[in-house]
Amino acid sequence: MIKKYLDIFGGISCLSYTKGWGILELNQEKGMAETNSRAIEGDDSFTRSAEKQLALYALYAVISLSVLVYILSLAAAQFGSNSTGQAIDVENNAVTITLRAEPPQLDQGRSTDASSFVVLAHAFEGLIAYDEEARLTPGVAERWEIRADGATFWLREDAKWSDGVPVTAHDFEFAWRRVVDPATASQYAFIFYSIKNAEAVNTGELPKEMLGVRAVSDRQLEVVFEQPTPYFDKLVAFITFLPVREDFYNSTNGRYGADADEMVYNGPYMITDWVHSASMVWKKNPYYWSDKRGFLDEIRVAYITSDTNAKLNLFKDGQIVETELLSPMLPGAMAERWQIDRIMDGTVFFFEFNHRPGRVTDNLNFRKALMYAHESSELVYKALKEASYLPAVSLFPVWIQGVNGPFREEYPPPEHHMDLEKARHHLELAKQELGVDEFPPIVMLSGDTPVSLVASAYYQELFRKRLGLEIRIDAQIFKQRLAKMTSGDFDIVLAGWGPDYDDALTFGDFFASWNLNNRGRYNSPEMDSYIRTAQSSLDPKERMDAFGNIQQLVYDDVAMLPMYERGWSFVVDPRLKGFRRRSVGPEVDYNYAYIDVSSD
Amino acid sequence: MSKLTAADFAPHSNEHHCHALSRPSLSYWQDAWIRLKSNKRALASGYLIIGLLIFTLLGPLLWPVNSSEQDLDQLSTPPGSARSALIIPDYEPWAGPTTTVTELELAGSATTQSVRLQWTSLPEANGHRVYRNLYPVGEEKAYGIPMAEFFDNNTLYFEDRLDLSPGIYYYSVVALAKNRRPATEAATIRVDVLRSTTVDEAIAQGLVEEGEEIAVGDTVNVALHPLGTDYLGRDMLARLMEGARVSLFIGIFAPFLYVLMGVVYGSIAGFMGGKVDQLMMRFADFVVALPFLLFMILFKISFGIGPGESGIFPMLVAMVVLLWPATARLVRGQIMQIREQGYVEASKLLGAKSSYLILRHMLPNTLGVVLVTLTFEIPRAIFTEAFLSFIGMGVAPPTPSWGSMSNEGIKTMLNTPHELIFPALLISITVLAFNLLGDGLRDALDARMRNTE
Repeated sequence: MIKKYLDIFGGISCLSYTKGWGILELNQEKGMAETNSRAIEGDDSFTRSAEKQLALYALYAVISLSVLVYILSLAAAQFGSNSTGQAIDVENNAVTITLRAEPPQLDQGRSTDASSFVVLAHAFEGLIAYDEEARLTPGVAERWEIRADGATFWLREDAKWSDGVPVTAHDFEFAWRRVVDPATASQYAFIFYSIKNAEAVNTGELPKEMLGVRAVSDRQLEVVFEQPTPYFDKLVAFITFLPVREDFYNSTNGRYGADADEMVYNGPYMITDWVHSASMVWKKNPYYWSDKRGFLDEIRVAYITSDTNAKLNLFKDGQIVETELLSPMLPGAMAERWQIDRIMDGTVFFFEFNHRPGRVTDNLNFRKALMYAHESSELVYKALKEASYLPAVSLFPVWIQGVNGPFREEYPPPEHHMDLEKARHHLELAKQELGVDEFPPIVMLSGDTPVSLVASAYYQELFRKRLGLEIRIDAQIFKQRLAKMTSGDFDIVLAGWGPDYDDALTFGDFFASWNLNNRGRYNSPEMDSYIRTAQSSLDPKERMDAFGNIQQLVYDDVAMLPMYERGWSFVVDPRLKGFRRRSVGPEVDYNYAYIDVSSD
Repeated sequence: MSKLTAADFAPHSNEHHCHALSRPSLSYWQDAWIRLKSNKRALASGYLIIGLLIFTLLGPLLWPVNSSEQDLDQLSTPPGSARSALIIPDYEPWAGPTTTVTELELAGSATTQSVRLQWTSLPEANGHRVYRNLYPVGEEKAYGIPMAEFFDNNTLYFEDRLDLSPGIYYYSVVALAKNRRPATEAATIRVDVLRSTTVDEAIAQGLVEEGEEIAVGDTVNVALHPLGTDYLGRDMLARLMEGARVSLFIGIFAPFLYVLMGVVYGSIAGFMGGKVDQLMMRFADFVVALPFLLFMILFKISFGIGPGESGIFPMLVAMVVLLWPATARLVRGQIMQIREQGYVEASKLLGAKSSYLILRHMLPNTLGVVLVTLTFEIPRAIFTEAFLSFIGMGVAPPTPSWGSMSNEGIKTMLNTPHELIFPALLISITVLAFNLLGDGLRDALDARMRNTE
């Protein structure tokens, strides 16, 4: 049927449509060529002149814009930088700084993050503090004594809270009991475990009053040890040991540390204003006892950001006094002729293996294969290119002290050289032991920071090329990475460990079978016995021997693969003196900072 | 009046009524093609796209370099760098000066493998700090980057192996005061670093001909990277070609699928009209409201795409599922317009079925619009892919895509701009080319534009 209709339709089209087309053709082809040619030409020249005019306007616009930009940049150079910058306010003796992140809360018993530590280290003072050169110095305690069975602290009389009330031994007793109280759920309660009954109290077996801490008088604090703790003075300088005043704490109705007016301070500075996620103001504490700390009248935390590029721009504009410099920023900093400084931040980064049964990484030969295929110096010098980083060769960073000198000089780390033949040999052994022809893809859990992404991309290619292994990179934000580490959802994780206190043990007990931070669940009775010795021995030599053994065992067992020790290149406004970045303690320290314009 | 003959009553022949055609008849498409050809911008864009396809498909055959291979001797090298390198012995750890040292001086020659410095203790030093600078130390005492520090006077040497590139460096050794802070005493040395490589490396990278002998002291040319290398020494050209595969695959395949889906959906809605149309278009509105990024993540999870696996497939699915409504709306509008045209009425009167109407009259008449939409959707899809890879939702490393390469390049934008410029340029050119081609196609296919030209 349709076919027939179509034919008819086609017939009609011959009459009407073909005609139309024909005329149109005529118009288009012939007409254009002959009759309409002049008009079209006229049109053309019109379009052309319009185009010319447009191009001219565009040119004007570009020229005037560049002139405007030039004038603006001249103006900025004239009025910019130091004259308008808020970084240093000489008149009010104030500086402007940044904070890496918003502190979740400022309860010293529960804080775990670096930026909270920075704030707390300025607003509070413990029994023992750090001096300018990162040595221990008396804080609230005038003097102290550490024995095999316990310690005694004698508190100074003139230490006062920011409302004028004296700081007493009871404030420490209350604070420490509160940390180990299971109701507080402090993540750092374990750091108290060297005090008598701390673990039992923390697990709820004993009431918190049974903790081995007692205020004998307002001026004297007695501590009883569970086991000998020769490094207790270093421990006490840690944030979790800061005092809390009981009557004030009770008056906050559980909101302690949530806001600037929900805290009472005993440090060189006190927080007077806290706009959450935006800014903070710290003012000099008028009741602070020492004239050797807290020289500034005001510290303004004007920006809360971890964006180093933004911080660099703020620093360039004279808006903040200090910023860290990552390697891509260094050529620019050299061109600006800044005086660049450096510090080891104390953290060691390494491959943590998943030692849980059933994982490929549980196999010693497999781990050895990876170890012989890699060289940490190549990672740091060629891939990361950070001038402030050191290639890591041990669990213990370079600044850890031994018996008399640096630990790593007294106990040199095992010599390691890349050896591809050995690596392939161990990989063959691992294949035989595991009974596989081909290894499954290895999941490498990593952070989402630029440095960890570069490191993981570097290792992915390295192990593919040198060992023929397929590595899958699982880049996660910090919280998610921590969750996956805890649940054991990885083969290898690029992890870091920073020091809590200035003693080798802060690294040494990492691979203890009972340490919850040992996320790969490395478990070795030999390791545990060394750690027990290191924890409780009173003989410094014996302790350090134990750490030396731990260092060797970590290498022999390939418990982890050291990657790098992190450091920072940073730059400080030359008018600010006494500012410190630290390996142990708060990462930035303004307690000793003062403004000196004389060198300008 | 003359006499009428029988011949006068014979039917007139049909032929004389048709106008003679002076030129061959041109179909709609032929006409459009002629006009597209006369549009120089569109034509150039067309050639550019063909060029890009050749770059993507044939490029890897002509430049068979592995895109994930890391050339650690050439990190972040811009294109056109000098390639001549000195052959030096394998790296041996250095345990300090073997000769007597009188001042800050070089031990051995300065090469990209290592720069070895040795010095004598500076006056009143309690240790030293070593700096490296790209510029001479001026009055500001800006020594540059602190490379290392030693807190005693026993270590009077330093070996620099950090990312050395050929060129001039200024090394300074500054005395440390008792408080471990830099003091005023300092010594500076100017060092000219030579590009170097080892025998093993040269052989491993195929820098020497088979059978050719090389020895320490010879000069070879290091591997050629026409467009330079990225921060891990990977060949930019190879990465761009591989990245193009991902970008163009997503860029062409995804719009093709979702425009097709939109055409089918839109033509059904437009043709049916009434309640069905209302219902279908409200559903399209609903789909428009769905957030793309969220669905992309949901698809990624529901497909069980684990960590470290490519997110390209969920990206494709998310695009097809979520981006069709725009085309559907356009096609529906067109179809509704055409439905009311006289020739469709006539065809209906003559008993044509719906399927015939759609296939013979409606779709061909919407094809112009659809084609234009497609060419505009392609750059959009390329851009979406680039954006998603830029934020880390797309390809998994080490697979490059232009978006992820831009993301990597932006970090070192100020020092090594070529790492950002090349992928960004390719994204821009591709997007521009498809846009201009789309523009040209629209002009060519729109019959109403005919007389305005």
